Amino acid sequence: MHIPDGFLSTPVWAGLGAAGLSAVGLLGRRVQRELAESAVPRLGVMGAFVFAAQMINFPIAAGTSGHLVGSALLTYTLGPAPAALVMSAVLVLQALVFQDGGILALGANVVNMALAAVLVAHLCYRYLERSQLRGAGMFAGGALSVLVAGGLALAELGLSGVRIPPAILGLSLGLLAVNGLIEGALTLAVVRALERLSPGWVRKPEAEARPALGILLIAGLLLVTAGVLVASAAPDSLEWLAEEVGLAERARHLFETPLADYQARFIAWPWLAQATAGLAGLAAAFALSVSLGRLLIRRRRG
Amino acid sequence: MHHVVLEQWSRRASRVHALDPRAKLVVTLLLLIAIATSPALGGAQFAAYAGLLAAVVLAAGLPPGGVALRAGIVLPFAGALAVMNWLAGDVARSVAILLKSYLSVFAALVLVGTTPVARLFAGLERLGAPRSLVLVLQFLYRYLFVISEQAQHMRLAAQSRGALERAPRRTRLRAPASAVAVLFARSYRRAEAVYQAMLARGFAGHVEPVAPLRLAGKDLLAAGAASGAILAIRLGL
Repeated sequence: MHIPDGFLSTPVWAGLGAAGLSAVGLLGRRVQRELAESAVPRLGVMGAFVFAAQMINFPIAAGTSGHLVGSALLTYTLGPAPAALVMSAVLVLQALVFQDGGILALGANVVNMALAAVLVAHLCYRYLERSQLRGAGMFAGGALSVLVAGGLALAELGLSGVRIPPAILGLSLGLLAVNGLIEGALTLAVVRALERLSPGWVRKPEAEARPALGILLIAGLLLVTAGVLVASAAPDSLEWLAEEVGLAERARHLFETPLADYQARFIAWPWLAQATAGLAGLAAAFALSVSLGRLLIRRRRG
Repeated sequence: MHHVVLEQWSRRASRVHALDPRAKLVVTLLLLIAIATSPALGGAQFAAYAGLLAAVVLAAGLPPGGVALRAGIVLPFAGALAVMNWLAGDVARSVAILLKSYLSVFAALVLVGTTPVARLFAGLERLGAPRSLVLVLQFLYRYLFVISEQAQHMRLAAQSRGALERAPRRTRLRAPASAVAVLFARSYRRAEAVYQAMLARGFAGHVEPVAPLRLAGKDLLAAGAASGAILAIRLGL
């Protein structure tokens, strides 16, 4: 899931780089402000724990084994902001010292595996914990953290114009789903074991009401689906949509002059068209899930 | 192991090793951006970047074959995607993916192979990386091998207790999950102990590099020359 350098197009790595850089800056300041001084060195040691925990094999089925990724587990034990900071540090170290993931692609990898994964894990836990489904929330958080991170990576590759045949894309999504289920089960098993050792280590999510985070979760989830679907299924219908709206024409004028080399021309409008379609799908699906959520709440009250 | 070799390389002495980590970080970033934004069909440009990197490798006294081989770490993934794009008819992109990803990893290896990790982190901090992130990175790297070793000991102990036997399906996840939980507990307690010990030695929330970073004239000169060469290649001068 670590994207190396050389795969992402300039708008994608630069955009996600800016997003990742500023998010990590904010997180760093927030962690410094909110945590006791002793917590920062502890976070580093817990990052080392994530590396080491990945060495412990879990037997899955038929002789295969998997291992924990750890973003959900860290979220449930350290809290979301410190967990995201630790995962970012893990990714920086992997990119610099182990050449696992690119340096320019670091922003994308941080957004996928540190920010989105932790956010999704946190929100699943928070929403489901409130409704007496604590275990289910942790399982869903672990599973979705892997799914969202991998799906985002695939979507970013798609947006960059890397062609992935539908069969391979389907296979990758299937593998991601399996890995997600495994991560959910492992996260839950480790949390249960931790609670047997000392219940204090597993945090209760703070009862803060911030709808913005919920919106981000849903947006992230939908961006994954929309992006992957857009990248794989129907480039032709999208082309048609973009021509119809006149976006393609405008995009060409916008992009051709400043970036007049082969690659820029190739990317310019599929990228814009895909992003537009993704955003439209996102808005539609967001409206759908908000109304669904309202319906559910009303039913529980009634 | 990979990082051990890199650590050994980074401790050699050469003019490139002696440069300020900030200069090397900025030049590497510039080179990566130049590579990433190069046109897909710019074969001559890629050759020029490769030549530039080869010159730095020779000046730094790193084994050229070793660096070239280690940069191949990215090839399985890049190769798979390149084949897919080739089959989809996008030959230019498939070649570009291979060349760009290989050259980028090569550049990263040159940076890490000529800069000890501690100085790299210090350079990152001076370049404006958030202090808490750098602190987390420093502790992460310092305790990475300690805690990995502990995990390996635990795995060995579990195996000698018979963990390789087939467990009944319902409890199969339980043993490794407990192992991870125990590893968590030990890491957590170790972190507390480490912090106590550091406080006792006067830690004030900041790790100072042993040799303070100094941006001298030769650093600026080297960075300027390298940046000039990269820009000249990228802009086709």
